[in-house]
Parts: sequence; C-alpha cells; structure tokens
Amino acid sequence: MLRRKFNLKISISFLLITVLSIPAFAQGWDVPEAQKSKNSNVVFDAGATKEGESVFTKNCVSCHGNPGKGNFMKTLTPPPPDLAGDKTHNLTDGELFYILNTGRGVMPSFKNILSETDRWKAIAFIRSFHKGYVQVVSKTDPEKSKLVKINVSFDEKSNKVTVDVKANEKTGVVALKETEVSLFAKRRFGNLQIEKSGRTDANGVISFNFPKELPGDKEGNVELIVKISNEAYGEVESQSKMKLGIPTDVPSLTKERSMFNVMKKAPWWILITYFSGISIVIGFFIYMLLNLKKLFDLGKK
Amino acid sequence: MLDHSKADKITSDLLRSIRMNKSFVVWMGILGISLVICLYAYTIQLREGLGVTGLRDYVSWGMYIANFVFFVAASLIGMLISAVLGLSGQKWITPITRIAEIIALAFAAVAGLVIVSDMGHPERLLNVFMYGRIQSPIIWDVTVVTVYVLLSTLYLFIPLIPDLKICHDKIDNITPLQSKIYKLLSLNWKGTAEQVALVRKMIRAISIFIIPVAFGIHTVTSWLFASTLRVGWDSTIFGPYFVTGAFVTGCAGVIIAMYFYRFNYKLGDYLTDFHFDKMAKLLVLVSLVYLYFNLNEYMVPGYKMKKFDALHIHDLFVGNHALLFWAVQLGGLVIPIILLLFKKMRTPKPMLFIAIAVFIGAWFKRYIIVVPTMEHPFLPIQNVPLNFKIYTPTLTEVLINFAPFVLVLLIITILSKVVPIIPVQETIEEFEETHK
Repeated sequence: MLRRKFNLKISISFLLITVLSIPAFAQGWDVPEAQKSKNSNVVFDAGATKEGESVFTKNCVSCHGNPGKGNFMKTLTPPPPDLAGDKTHNLTDGELFYILNTGRGVMPSFKNILSETDRWKAIAFIRSFHKGYVQVVSKTDPEKSKLVKINVSFDEKSNKVTVDVKANEKTGVVALKETEVSLFAKRRFGNLQIEKSGRTDANGVISFNFPKELPGDKEGNVELIVKISNEAYGEVESQSKMKLGIPTDVPSLTKERSMFNVMKKAPWWILITYFSGISIVIGFFIYMLLNLKKLFDLGKK
Repeated sequence: MLDHSKADKITSDLLRSIRMNKSFVVWMGILGISLVICLYAYTIQLREGLGVTGLRDYVSWGMYIANFVFFVAASLIGMLISAVLGLSGQKWITPITRIAEIIALAFAAVAGLVIVSDMGHPERLLNVFMYGRIQSPIIWDVTVVTVYVLLSTLYLFIPLIPDLKICHDKIDNITPLQSKIYKLLSLNWKGTAEQVALVRKMIRAISIFIIPVAFGIHTVTSWLFASTLRVGWDSTIFGPYFVTGAFVTGCAGVIIAMYFYRFNYKLGDYLTDFHFDKMAKLLVLVSLVYLYFNLNEYMVPGYKMKKFDALHIHDLFVGNHALLFWAVQLGGLVIPIILLLFKKMRTPKPMLFIAIAVFIGAWFKRYIIVVPTMEHPFLPIQNVPLNFKIYTPTLTEVLINFAPFVLVLLIITILSKVVPIIPVQETIEEFEETHK
C-alpha cells in the first residue's frame, strides 16, 4: 500500500516535471509551410519603414526593446529576442507575419489589433535592421481585395449571424470558399470576438451563434465588424450596424453633478459652501478697509 | 498719573533696534549670497526639469511637499498666540504678539512659493486657475493660504498703526522718505479715544476671524493627504493632528526668535524669564496634545496591522525610516516635553536648544508623513530602477528647499528693522494700567 502511494507520488512528480518543462523545449515556432512563403504586398520602402516604426513603438517596443539596443524585457520567460538579431534575420517574411498574427504565450496575437498593412509595415521596420535583406514582393494583386463583397445578415429566430463572402470577378460572382472569417461586436474598450474564427463553406457562407444578452445602444443596435482573410484576395474588413442587442440606455457617468465631475458639474453643496466662504472673506476685507478709512478720517478732525 | 520718564524709556528701548548697523549689513549679505546660491540651484531645475531632484514616478511628493506643510504649520502660531490667547485675556503675550505675527506672515507668504518649486515650470500654477476643480482640496488650499496671507498682513498692520506714529515722531536718524512712509501708514493716528476704540474693535474682529481661517489653512493642507486612500494618510484625525503639530512648530519658532531678540536687541527687560517660562509651558501643553494625536495616529493602525498599513508601520517602526521616525518622536517631542517639566530647563538658554530640536524635529516629522507613504503604493512596484523605489533628495533639491528659509529670514530681518518688534503703545498702556 505504502509502496503504491510512493510510486504514485513519483509518477505525479515526473509527469508534472515533464509537462512543466514542455514550454522550455518548445523554442521553435511551428509555422505551416504555406505561411512561410507568404510575401508582402506592401513594398518595404522608406515610407513604409517610417510608418512601421511608429507601429513598432506603440505595440512592440515595450517588450522587444529598440532593435539592436538590447533593451528588451529580460525578466520575461522566454525573453523576447532583440529583433535586429540573426535569429530574426533568418526568418522569412511569411514566418514573421505568422508569428505576429498568432502570438504565443506572453507574445500576444496582433491579427485583430493591427491591420494587415500595419503588420507588414512593422515587419518593414524590423527588416531595415537586417543587412543584406532583399524583399520579395508578393505576386498577388492587392487590387483584388477591392472586388470582395461581404454580406452580413441576422436571423432572429435562430439568433444567428450569417456572413456571405463573394467576389465580383469580371467573369461573374464567385463564392469565396475556405476563407477565414472572424466576427466582432464593437464594445466601449475594444472588439468582442463572437465565437471562434471559422472558414466559409463551398457557397462562401459561414454562420455564427450570436449571444442573446449582449447590450446594444438605446435602440438595440450593435456595430458588427467582419474580418476575412483569403489567400488570393488578402484581408478585407467590413462594418455594419444591426439591431441584435438588448436596448440599453445607460446615462453617462458624467451627466449628473458629482464630486468626480468637472467643475461646472460640481455638487451644489460644495459650490455654495465655497462661494459663501469667499463672500464672507470679501465682506470682511471690505469691512476692515472701511474701518481703516474711518480711522484715517477721524485723524483729520 | 502718567509716568512720562518710564514711557520715554520704554519707547527708546523698543525703538533702539530700528537703525542700520554693521551686523545687519553683514547678516543681509550672508542671506543674499545664500539666496543667490539657492536660486542658481533653481535655475538648474528650470533648465533640466524635475529629473534633477530625487522625485520619480512613485515618490512624486518628496521634500518639497514636506517643506510646504512645514511652512504652513509654522505660520499658524500668529493665530494661536495673538488670537486664541489674546481673546482669552492672557496679558503676558503682549511683547510676543508681534514676533508671532511676523513669523506667521513670513512663513505663510513663502509657503506658496514652495509649492511652485515642486511644479517644475512655475507657469503650471496657472493650470490651477484655468482647470482647477472646486471638488479638489488643492483649490481650497490655494484659496485659504491666500486669504491667510492677506489676513496676517492686516493682523500685523492694524496693531502697528499707533507704533508707526511713534516711529515717525520719535526716531530721528532716518531718511525723510522713511519718515514719510511711517506717517502715511500711520493713517493720521492721533491717539484720540475714538481712534483707540476703533483700532481695538478692528483687532478684536480680526482676532475672531483669523481663528477659523487658520484652522482652515492647515486642515485643508491635511486634507490634501487625508482625502486619498493611501496608507498613512487615510486618517480621520489628520485635521486636528496637523493643527496641533503646527502649534508645536510655531511655539518652537517663536522661542528661537524670542531668544535672538532678547540678546541681540537687548530686550531683557521686556522678554523676561517669565515670558520664556510661559512659552515653555505653552510648548509643553501643545506638545502633549500633539503627542496624544500621534499616539492615536500610530497606535490604532499599529494594533490592527491591516495588510498595507502593516507594511507602512513596520517601515516606520523598525524598517528603513525607523531611525528618523524615532529620532523625531523622541527627540522632537517626548524628550522636550520631559525636559521642560523642570523649572531649570524653562530658562532662555536651555529652551533655545530644546526649541531648535523641536523645530528640526517638526521639519523631519513632515518628511516622515509625506515620503514613506509614497514609497508604499497599493500596486506592487515592478521593473524599475532602485532610485524609483527609494527616494533620496539630491543636493539641488535640498538647496531649492533651503531658499524659502532664506526668504523667511529675509522678511523677518527686514520687518524687524523697520518696525518695533515689541508693541510700544501696548507696552506703555499696560505699564500705566499696572502702575495706576
């Protein structure tokens, strides 16, 4: 009995050690082959690099530090690499783009935070530190994304949002199948993703179960954001406003008079107290000055 | 029956100090040079920014704010001595009133400048008037400090009116311009019964009015701290705690000034051992009240040891700030109280040393109130250099903090060279009353 318990303890400890050490072993990013060869439509010129720098400063610098300066956050595990280094240099544009899109562990995914162009510009900035790097521009036509038409509809009975993705090609309307679609509802402090991203079916259609309790504006309107990503057509985003939330009328926190509001909306009691205090003080000084005048006049007699 | 020769002696004794002499010029020279050095330090701060101080993200209120609280505290003494004791009919305060009022005015006038030095660029002061919110104690503080400075000026000026006339009549070694200014400011004083009654009425009115304002100035200053949730500041007794602490500071200041005037201005007949003894007893009284508030302020959270309070209190009692904390509490409060219980200690010389200890202790007490709390925020401090966690004032900062003291000394020095430091008229009146 004792022996069995002992064995169990050892087994659990061994298991724990193994499981816990997995992240330490898993250093490489398993980038799918198809993604590795992906290239940018954005040309990495001086303009893109400059804009990329501002994207980088806002989103990346806090952990990775300035490329080449070695001022990255050394306290994180694993420590984020200095992006001017060889390790990053040796990655393909597609690999960098994939890492930026998916994120892992401490590194967040930027897919839904930055637009595709901004993500490529950030990479353009990183590449400006890699000596001998030559860009291979994507052969896909960036103009193709303009042909994409996204149709969003809502079915009240099933509470489902259906996204229909088509492209108006010269040859006729083409359904975009196997296209990744993400649905978001716009909230006050960011976008709330509705279910997981999915891929369209053969008709270029995908449905999402919409939550029933989501608060909308006064009329129940919710702003929906649909993002699609297609190999041939790139990334396209569409916004639409639909009546699918619960009508909510929350008065603004700064509407009423309160202690935390601006001065114009200060509570009456504090205004009255303050200004009556001031009036008393002014009254007192006037009284004293009049008395001093009186004193002066008395001396004239 | 009026004793003219005695009245003349009082007048000439008390007006003797109003003249230029070598030691005055030397002293002003020292103060002037010190001020230039301090102002040079300030130009460094203006040029380089607040980074030249020890202030960082966490300790953003350091020596400057401690200094500001100290200056506001020291200014409260005018109200305690002239108004509270005066209204309660204490006769012994007569020769001390003007000293207390000059100290009050000097410290109150300079307190605002201390805050401006903490702002970095001085023009930021305008933001208070442009964007200030009445719900914030800062606006109330700015208001009440301004009112107190104006009131203190009046409180110094009105009892001075008869003396200004005496200065005009009796001092003959001054320039015609100075004489003219005395005449102008004495507002046609003739000493008629009507004028005497009017001045008495005004002094009485201002004595009453200045009490709530003086309480207000230091209570609001305490609310700058107490209206936050921070450990060590989140206290309901901060108002009275600060006000009584201010009385301790002010009493010590007045004793130091009394000692100086008694020996340098040869006023031994007016600032007698009796007056020192009374001031010593007053200091013991206010110190005991302050000690009582200290007991409440540290005992109650110290008994409960709530999570964040415990961190703060450990730091004060046995941690980083323990040495300063106990030095201030014992050296600046407990030991002076015990010493002053002995009659021998209530004589000028020992009192000077005790008062200096109390005065310095009072300054560091403000430091102990401001800095340790800032070093203990609720959210953990992470990934910052050591100088963000532990505040150490820089030399530049110390020099800038020294400037207001130089200014106060300048104001006091100049005022005591142009007006009699002991009320002449009142001293004569009292002499006449007691020798009828």
